[in-house]
Amino acid sequence: MAAKKRSEMAVKHEFKSYRDITPMHVSLGNMLYNKTGAWRFIKPIYEDKAPACQNACPAGNDIEGWIKLLGRQEFEKAYWHLKREEPFPAILGRVCFKFCEGACNRGVFDDGIRIQELERFVGDRFSPATPHPELPAYNGKRLAVVGSGPAGMSAAYFARLLGFAVTIFDRETLPGGILRLGIPGYRLPRQVVAAEFEGLSRMGIDLKLGTEIGKDMALATLTETFDYVFLATGAHRSIPLQLTENLSCCRIISALFLLKQVARGETVSLGKEVVVIGGGNTAIDAARTAVRLGCRATVLYRRSPTEMPAHPDEVREAEEEGVCFRFLAAPEDIALRPDETIEKLVCCEMELGPADDSGRCRPLRKEGATFDIPADTILMAVGEEADMGYLSQFIASTDPILRTHEDLSVPFDTPAAARVFAGGDMTDTPHTVVHAVATGKKAAIAMDCNRRGIAFTDIQDHIRIGNGDALSFSRYMNWAPVNPVPCNDRMVVDSSKIVYDYFIKSPGCNKMVQPADQRRFSFAPYHDTLPEEQALLETRRCLHCGRCTECDNCLIFCPDVSILDQTRETFGYAIDYDYCKGCGICFTECPRHAMTMVSEG
Amino acid sequence: MKKAIKGNHAVSHGVRLSKVGVISAYPITPQTTIVEALSEMCAGGELDARFIKVESEHSAMAALIGAATAGVRTFTATSGNGLLLMHEVLHWTAGARLPIVMATVNRAVSGVWNIWAEQTDSLAQRDTGWIQIFCESSQELLDGVIMAYKLAEKVMLPVMIAYDAFFLSHTTEIVDIPDQEPVDRFIPPYVPPVSLSFDNPRMFGGFFATDYFYEHRYTLQLAAQEALAYYPEVCREFTRDFGRTYDLIETYRTEDAEIILVTAGAITSVSRIAVDQMQGRGVRVGLMKLRLFRPVPVDCWRKALEKATKVVVIDRNLSVGLGGIFASEIRSVLYGSAHRPPIYSVIAGLGGRDVTPEDVEGILNHVIAQDKPSDAPLFWGLKK
Amino acid sequence: MQKKFEIPRQVLVEQDLMQPGITSCQGCAAPLSMKIALKALGERTVVVFPACCFAVFVGGYPYSSLKVPIIHCPFETSAVVASGAAAALSVRGEKDTVVMVWAGDGGTFDIGMQALSGAAERNENILFVCYDNEAYMNTGIQRSSATPMGAWTTTTPEGCIKEESKKDIEQIMLAHHISYMATASAAYPDDMFKKFQKARGISGMKFIHLLSACPPGWRIDPAHTIKIMRLATQTNVFPIYEVCKRPVSADTEQITEEWQYTINVFPEKNVPVGSYFKSQGRFGLMTDEMIQSTQKRVDRKWQELVEKAG
Ligand SMILES: Cc1cc2nc3c(=O)[nH]c(=O)nc-3n(C[C@H](O)[C@H](O)[C@H](O)COP(=O)(O)OP(=O)(O)OC[C@H]3O[C@@H](n4cnc5c(N)ncnc54)[C@H](O)[C@@H]3O)c2cc1C
Ligand code: SF4
Ligand code: SF4
Repeated sequence: MAAKKRSEMAVKHEFKSYRDITPMHVSLGNMLYNKTGAWRFIKPIYEDKAPACQNACPAGNDIEGWIKLLGRQEFEKAYWHLKREEPFPAILGRVCFKFCEGACNRGVFDDGIRIQELERFVGDRFSPATPHPELPAYNGKRLAVVGSGPAGMSAAYFARLLGFAVTIFDRETLPGGILRLGIPGYRLPRQVVAAEFEGLSRMGIDLKLGTEIGKDMALATLTETFDYVFLATGAHRSIPLQLTENLSCCRIISALFLLKQVARGETVSLGKEVVVIGGGNTAIDAARTAVRLGCRATVLYRRSPTEMPAHPDEVREAEEEGVCFRFLAAPEDIALRPDETIEKLVCCEMELGPADDSGRCRPLRKEGATFDIPADTILMAVGEEADMGYLSQFIASTDPILRTHEDLSVPFDTPAAARVFAGGDMTDTPHTVVHAVATGKKAAIAMDCNRRGIAFTDIQDHIRIGNGDALSFSRYMNWAPVNPVPCNDRMVVDSSKIVYDYFIKSPGCNKMVQPADQRRFSFAPYHDTLPEEQALLETRRCLHCGRCTECDNCLIFCPDVSILDQTRETFGYAIDYDYCKGCGICFTECPRHAMTMVSEG
Repeated sequence: MKKAIKGNHAVSHGVRLSKVGVISAYPITPQTTIVEALSEMCAGGELDARFIKVESEHSAMAALIGAATAGVRTFTATSGNGLLLMHEVLHWTAGARLPIVMATVNRAVSGVWNIWAEQTDSLAQRDTGWIQIFCESSQELLDGVIMAYKLAEKVMLPVMIAYDAFFLSHTTEIVDIPDQEPVDRFIPPYVPPVSLSFDNPRMFGGFFATDYFYEHRYTLQLAAQEALAYYPEVCREFTRDFGRTYDLIETYRTEDAEIILVTAGAITSVSRIAVDQMQGRGVRVGLMKLRLFRPVPVDCWRKALEKATKVVVIDRNLSVGLGGIFASEIRSVLYGSAHRPPIYSVIAGLGGRDVTPEDVEGILNHVIAQDKPSDAPLFWGLKK
Repeated sequence: MQKKFEIPRQVLVEQDLMQPGITSCQGCAAPLSMKIALKALGERTVVVFPACCFAVFVGGYPYSSLKVPIIHCPFETSAVVASGAAAALSVRGEKDTVVMVWAGDGGTFDIGMQALSGAAERNENILFVCYDNEAYMNTGIQRSSATPMGAWTTTTPEGCIKEESKKDIEQIMLAHHISYMATASAAYPDDMFKKFQKARGISGMKFIHLLSACPPGWRIDPAHTIKIMRLATQTNVFPIYEVCKRPVSADTEQITEEWQYTINVFPEKNVPVGSYFKSQGRFGLMTDEMIQSTQKRVDRKWQELVEKAG
């Protein structure tokens, strides 16, 4: 507040006699005695809210927060701020399906913010091995994480920030799960994943590789020796292709298996013509890998392009690299050469029928409409499911999806396993890296609630971001936000709340992607991080939805001179409620909905 | 310096000597020659004033609201219809306590045109709060303007100098025009009680709610009373500095008079001749000339008329439905007096009709013949 | 990127010559406009108020919310009262001052017109600002000659709306050959600030026409004042432009255009006028046909303006 309240400067004139009338009827004082604030029944307050982007990010990444810091060139602050909600910016900044960008409010104005590019820029700016500034002392509890994929990494990271002593187990000798063994190196360089593990180990997290739970060690051993167990073993078992009869004998390879082989550096030979069956990311990655191995790749998909689960960007890039797509086509039969090698794939044309349970249109065979595609190798990518054999002693279900409680704890039959949680691809969550990260965060918080003896479901609503499932780790930790004002994370600022009149149109920055004819022959990364200059320019395009930027709009537009500048003190402004009449102009004219009208009293 | 000049020019010289800062005016016969002369004086550098040539009398007066509030000595002049157009602003300027001085050349007003003398225009402004001074000669006009500033700036009320169209405005008389230096001493530069300043910014006027307005009106009444009390002092100082005397009223041969004639403005001059002639014939008749009409010098009027057996008021004005306005005012002043002589109200010379000494004698003879006044005024010289 | 305000921050946060406590209605655009105007004009400003809402809510005797001198005056006299004040200031030798009239539409378009026309013709060194809320709001929403066609007021009889067009004040003022004429709106505070600053530096008669939303009179939510005024400009109902006198060069025989028109705010997208009219209760009785014909008129006037601006 200002040094002296303005209402204290009011000069009230006592009028008792006609003698008190001033010569020439001049004024004696101001109107400050008249506290027009009494007229008000609703009042404006500064209240930050959740931007559409953060609401859309499954991990609840506080994008606006670190973009703001980045814009101020406070790189290190931006880095650590980012990592409060999303610990692996260098990874997600490369492979995430960027749910945020689709929701960015700038999209309907001109061109959405290149959030992922910025995230990657921030992620690449520092080594994950930089000492963590917010690392606490151990809380005395031990956590075993099974699976070193993104879900496991995330759980380990957040649990460590909550004081747990963490050990990660993985059956592979290369940590990272799909990040290391599924997603090809030209999209996610190996050293990026490796660096994250270096970071985790610097935080004191133990990594036990080559240890398969259920084989090298029983799950019961873990539940006995650790206070908590987090399962994140992913979904690695390829769903077999259901073709007509005699095909089981044929050499049809799982696409994920191929990717793993390539990732491990094993030699593979596919022939010339490769047909990939499926429409997900595994299909696209396998096709693009095949192209890089010198093959001609065709992706065969039962439905139309709009139904394809793979990310449109990836599809476009694959097309640029020469991958052919055959939509509305399903395999029917395989024609073999006399030497039992594959000659061609016999396909049937499909048409879309009524929508099924998943909301997608069911593909139906068009009778008699068949055609052939030459094929030397057929790669299968119609989905992967979890292999939960190692759980059989605890859980009877044959469901390929592990159905957890709301707090991600596993409904085991034995009470000994009461403190087992699970996340990532093996659970009922979309198969993406960021969703895996989100489950890791959620499980860490849930385990901490359990440790503290409080109900997670009570806490959950207080730390939920917007109207989705994302949780705010910062709020769980009570970490101060970038703006020192109350933040109502539950309220989402979508495009209907933005006053676009205050913004100038400007296109988003160009991505640093190599042309297709250069990248298609190489496993080297083809997409570079933004240069600093570009990144900083891009930050200036952010509308800072729901977050005060001290743009002065409220100050300018208040007809009652009731917004006071406080720049030299804490936060930009203070509202002088002695005089604010509650007209709501500041609220309406806030370009980014960072104010709220609340009822008085 | 003595000079033969017209009445209107006497006013112009009074304004020049008073070193007025802002003049604003709109032309109307018979006022025009005042402002023409002033315009020349400004152009010739004799008078260092800003002259705003407005688009109406209403604006002429309103311009002075701004100028006088900003602390500068101001002047305007008008006549007849122009004065009526100013009416609202006259209330405003008096109520705002602005010491404006205005010459009003009395001109007839009605539903037909006439440009000649009649005082109804000024008298219609008597409730505005303006001080009203009626003049008879060019010298009185010049001196009156200078005295008006002294009075106005002392009590912070505007002053109107009223005089008859053509009979005075356009008649040439010998006038003693004072030097600048004694005038400067008599009226030093105007310093308003509150100055419009940027260092101590104030609001002038504004909205007065019921809790202030009544008292505000009362202070106007007080100011008028103060003007009445201060006027004799102004006169004394003027006599001291310039040798001429202008009391609240002027009496002529009233010492032994039984009949007292009351006049204002140019009719006074012809009345003086008539009085002399009648006195020569042994009729004990005297003359009381009204000078300060607002505020009303009640005591002074009562004292002057205290021995009269008959009072004859000649009004070159008409309050339609009542009669002569001066007569009515004298009547109401004498009502509270111990001595209440009968009052004979006479209307004469409306719209510039000549009133001669013979007319005045005729009026007096008519009155002498009456036992008591009739309720209706006498319309003297009416073509029946 | 957000549009940047060009009003210097120092001026924005510190130089408040208007204080709160004023009794204007919630969301009134007039005090907001005054705040910005005074930021641009500075302390050496005299404000002349004829009868208008502002004259009342600025403070009843003995209080004033402005930290500059104020002269109140009769309704119809503001332009000439200002002329007198300006003359007096020059006689006093006060330099670098500005006398600003702050009049409503009644005191400008209607009763104030004569004195305004006089002052304009004399090219008095004053700044006349009309804050136009398009009716007599102070007395309870009666029609004025500034009320737009299609608007309801208490003196457009029951169920009826004003059928006559709004007086074209800008053209009237330009016909007086004044030194500077501009329109402005508090929805574009930067532009407004610049115009007041510019007007301050020009000698002679300056006229600024401000659109000034009145929540009770326009039947709008007080919170939407700025939004709706912005819409007025975005729909071209209230274009924001300025007209300066072109310097006349003595050595050319050529008769050049006297005026230099500049459009200061171009609408960003093509918003139909209906969205402006439909946003306000006062236009509730306007039919779609009327809106259509208004659209044509607005388009034509805008086209003319664009042509003039070259
Ligand atoms: C080819 C491909 C490309 C993809 N591309 C993208 C992409 O671009 N963007 C995106 O967001 N998502 C992508 N996905 C999906 C994403 O990779 C997964 O959703 C995510 O990796 C799931 O993480 P997780 O931690 O649950 O499992 P995983 O990453 O699968 O990790 C599980 C880990 O558990 C280990 N493990 C399994 N069983 C045991 C056991 N019994 N004992 C010990 N360790 C065990 C495994 O070795 C593995 O390391 C892709 C998936 C595939 C297959
Ligand atoms: S993790 Fe994905 S959704 Fe979240 S901010 Fe980063 S790119 Fe966007
Ligand atoms: S503009 Fe910025 S804050 Fe708003 S949704 Fe986009 S990235 Fe988020």
